Amino acid sequence: MTLIAADVNVEALVIFAIVLSITLVVTYWASKRMTGANVFWAAGRSISGFQNGLAISGDYLSAASFLGIAGLIYIFGFDGFLYSVGFLVAFLTVMFLLAERMRNAGKYTIADVLSFRLRERPARVAAALGTLSVAAFYLIAQMVGAGVLIQALVGIDFSLAVLITGVMMLCYVIFGGMLATTWVQIIKAVLLMIAILVMSLFVLERVGFNPIELFNRAEANTTDESTFSLGPGTFLSSPIDTVSLGIALVLGTAGLPHILMRFFTVPDSKAARSSVVYAIFIIGIFYVLTTFVGFGARALLGEEGVAAAGAGGNLAAPNLAQFLGGGEGTFGGDLFLAIVAAVAFATILAVVAGLVLSASGAVAHDIWSNVIRKGRDSEHEEVLVARIAAASIGALAIAIAIIGGEGLNVSFMVGLAFAVAASANFPALLLALTWKRFNTAGAVTGVVFGVVSAIVLVIISPKVWPGPDGEGGALSFYDLANPGIISIPLGFIGCWLGTMLSNERGNEREFAELRVRAETGLGAEKAGAVA
Amino acid sequence: MSTPEEERVDWNAVEQSPEFKELIAARRRFVLPATIFFLAWYIGFVLLAGYAPDFMADSVYEGLTVGYCLALTQFVMVFVLGYLYLRRADKVYDPLAAKVVEKALGATHATTRPAAPAAPAAPPAAPRDPETPR
Repeated sequence: MTLIAADVNVEALVIFAIVLSITLVVTYWASKRMTGANVFWAAGRSISGFQNGLAISGDYLSAASFLGIAGLIYIFGFDGFLYSVGFLVAFLTVMFLLAERMRNAGKYTIADVLSFRLRERPARVAAALGTLSVAAFYLIAQMVGAGVLIQALVGIDFSLAVLITGVMMLCYVIFGGMLATTWVQIIKAVLLMIAILVMSLFVLERVGFNPIELFNRAEANTTDESTFSLGPGTFLSSPIDTVSLGIALVLGTAGLPHILMRFFTVPDSKAARSSVVYAIFIIGIFYVLTTFVGFGARALLGEEGVAAAGAGGNLAAPNLAQFLGGGEGTFGGDLFLAIVAAVAFATILAVVAGLVLSASGAVAHDIWSNVIRKGRDSEHEEVLVARIAAASIGALAIAIAIIGGEGLNVSFMVGLAFAVAASANFPALLLALTWKRFNTAGAVTGVVFGVVSAIVLVIISPKVWPGPDGEGGALSFYDLANPGIISIPLGFIGCWLGTMLSNERGNEREFAELRVRAETGLGAEKAGAVA
Repeated sequence: MSTPEEERVDWNAVEQSPEFKELIAARRRFVLPATIFFLAWYIGFVLLAGYAPDFMADSVYEGLTVGYCLALTQFVMVFVLGYLYLRRADKVYDPLAAKVVEKALGATHATTRPAAPAAPAAPPAAPRDPETPR
């Protein structure tokens, strides 16, 4: 088995090596400042609002956002842009309902907020279940995506590419914790924004800086076989599926543990709030620019480029970069391709590091420290367990990604992660912060309903379990590809039902305390010094 | 992590205080309508994309479609609401929250200072102890 193919892209390898060296230097710097759990999970609460805005963007904009959406727009047109809109509007949900309250009432994980006034052990186990489900699906999706992309772009074998991604991710998390992860995310966000800005300018230059001309040339560059359209309905063919996806996107972000965890890294709720607004502007500009890249790929590469863009059009953006640089075989073309490949790699690394960190928080801070050891462990022990947990989770994700291989459907796993986040984590968190009557049984039932319904509905969906005739799903009564419209209400119903059926009482005092803390920041975790 | 003053705050009293209610009301006056508006505008957009694809594909000007324009209004909405909320929060909510905190900590000073030496900072963990019956 040759691990490195003959057509390995040397420029890409060199740029990869430069990006990796910079992140390793940052990790080394962070490891010298690792003083305890506060730095490991919350970067000592030393991150400024602007830095955190960049880091949230780096944490959030996965390869699915960059290559995936550009590719969807290239192949399907408008429907790809629907994802961008949902991914962005979701931040209003985060800003209005959760960001500041999380910062004020929590410490390291979403379970801190959920268990605040509930019976701690069952509430933490439920929150850890939600966190780990989301992180697992999202992490495996990103790892497989990384392997496929690096194999295609650089010529490194899939398994080796997954292994490199996993090892780098574990280096950042184990040695540098949240501090290193944050700076990797910031570096990635800056690289990604520069890359997409430059690409957009090159595309616009080709059409005389006239976006209208871009749309016209995109539409003109289609054939009878094209699925591309400037209107909706090409990728998401069922209206109810479009709505279901839209709702899952706009509520799912508010249940993503690795995004919510970022709010614990800033000194106070004021910085948490400003960081969401910075993130909104950075992410918003990014998604507008992806339309230039996506429509630009259609206008410049045309229908002939579809085969080369691969499944889902993931390689449309790199191929466009190569074209803009001068085409295949030219120095400029190879260089542009190499740069975009390296940026895509950095993108994936920043996201998977955030995911592993949040998963290790669920295992070490929630399950180990607070459920098994009941808070009697030392901070040293908590960080040690966190490192072991991160290593185990990372090793498991690497193994599943390599065994599952390229056949694992990336977009289905990302959709599943968003569905679980919106159906399990979001209802429980929102109700814990706002509904006085809400209790432990409600939280546990809600999370279980949300996780189970999202997973079951995705498994029986036509995407995973196609019918014998290839038309629709195996189950004639159910043909939704996106479960959100059913699983999110089920999550809320679970919370309500569990609360009503339980006779648990005596939570009122804690609700008053949680409410005052969440709304005012009174008694919130203080910023600690990073040595 | 909390200071001793913060551990002796009477949370129920603070929650019932006029200052706290003013903070909640002020925030709700903006956040509630803004949330309803953005969800309605967004879900309306998604419904149109799902159920009125021909309308969304209509051309406003040459190749610029209704759908693309409506999508851009979503971006504008997010930017504007983000900016407005940030400004209001800094100017209105933060001072109101500061008043609540000041009064809450001031009240504990006044009522609990004499008892302070007798009550060291040990109890804070107790109410969160899962073994404690409620």
